[in-house]
Amino acid sequence: MAEPDILAQLMARCALRDQRAFAQLYRHTAAKLYGVALRILRRQDWAEEVLQESYVNIWSHVEEYSAAKSAPMTWMTAIVRNRALDWLRRPHFEHGSEDYDLLVEALPDDAQAPEALLALGRDARALAECLKQLSGNQRQSITLAYLHGLSHGELAQHMREPLGTVKTWIRRGLERLKTCMEAT
Amino acid sequence: MKYRNDQIREALAAEYALGTLQGAARQRFERSLRQDPALRRLVAQWQARLAPLDEAAQPVTPPARVWRAIQQRVAPASRRAGFWNSIGFWRGTALASTTAAVLLAVSLLTIVPRHETMVVVMSDDQSRPQITVSWQSRQRGEKQLRVRVMGHQTMDPETAWELWMLPPGDQKPVSLGLITTHETQTVVVPVQLQQAIDSARALAMSVEPKGGSPTGLPTGPVLYQGPCTKL
Repeated sequence: MAEPDILAQLMARCALRDQRAFAQLYRHTAAKLYGVALRILRRQDWAEEVLQESYVNIWSHVEEYSAAKSAPMTWMTAIVRNRALDWLRRPHFEHGSEDYDLLVEALPDDAQAPEALLALGRDARALAECLKQLSGNQRQSITLAYLHGLSHGELAQHMREPLGTVKTWIRRGLERLKTCMEAT
Repeated sequence: MKYRNDQIREALAAEYALGTLQGAARQRFERSLRQDPALRRLVAQWQARLAPLDEAAQPVTPPARVWRAIQQRVAPASRRAGFWNSIGFWRGTALASTTAAVLLAVSLLTIVPRHETMVVVMSDDQSRPQITVSWQSRQRGEKQLRVRVMGHQTMDPETAWELWMLPPGDQKPVSLGLITTHETQTVVVPVQLQQAIDSARALAMSVEPKGGSPTGLPTGPVLYQGPCTKL
């Protein structure tokens, strides 16, 4: 059975409150999702906290998952991403702290991201090809936002450009990405 | 707030999936998402488009303490309060504070008597779960089925969805009544079936003319079915 089918079946059993299925689901997916959380949060303690919250969330909303809407991994990843972004944007989070600013400064540009994607499956190749067709600034702002959870303001700071410029790159970049991916 | 303009909807869905929709705009958008299936689809499409970027993420095994903490938060309530109650419990956590939710779980504990729970996961022809049905077996008095329709399904308004119980052996299906596409609903079991349903081997759902099957037996295609399981 293919991985998405295994996951879908485990999730169906979780909807019946099957604890063993939930443990298996965790074993199948935790490393991947922890990787996603770490990449956005960059701190182990935060990523652990967010991972924990995410799985409790997955368990409590698993009956709302329906295979028709998205792949199991995409659904779970979206929960982790949302939790991680919530965490970064907590009201009491010290956004302007020097440490965080330094982290943002030190981020890689992810210019290599499209290349890494080419080695993966068909969907990934389509995305990589379309990312390549964007301007460098559009591609960089979109990948930085997605991979590391940067806000418009942080992107502007990192790329040393006005906020409005960055917003336009993102908006136009996403439009072009969609047009390109629908054509392939 | 309604986002009517298609271009705005598309742009917001994209930035929500990307993670750059923030603050009050993001909260507003999440509220709309709850009531707007079409908007949810747009978001799902964007999530799928961008998902390959996650494939490039390095998997990292989390420390064992993470799973222990998750288990502690997930296991006790469901062991104590049983099947649907635990869903009620976790639903509660999403809405109310933790304290209120704990109170809720405790009250469920004291109210719900110990009966066996019967559960049916009805799936389509590709084994995708579509509807779950559960009830308390060997319970006296009026028996009710809790029906949960998964996802957001649509029904041709000129038709009806009829729920059938399949008795043990080769006996013919018996109608339990009509259901709707609502996410959660309750079906009162007909008096003459209140005992028999506990020994049903499966449930099924067929598409019938408006008002239900004219013959008393399924006439239209059987969309979903599933075996009865005792928990």
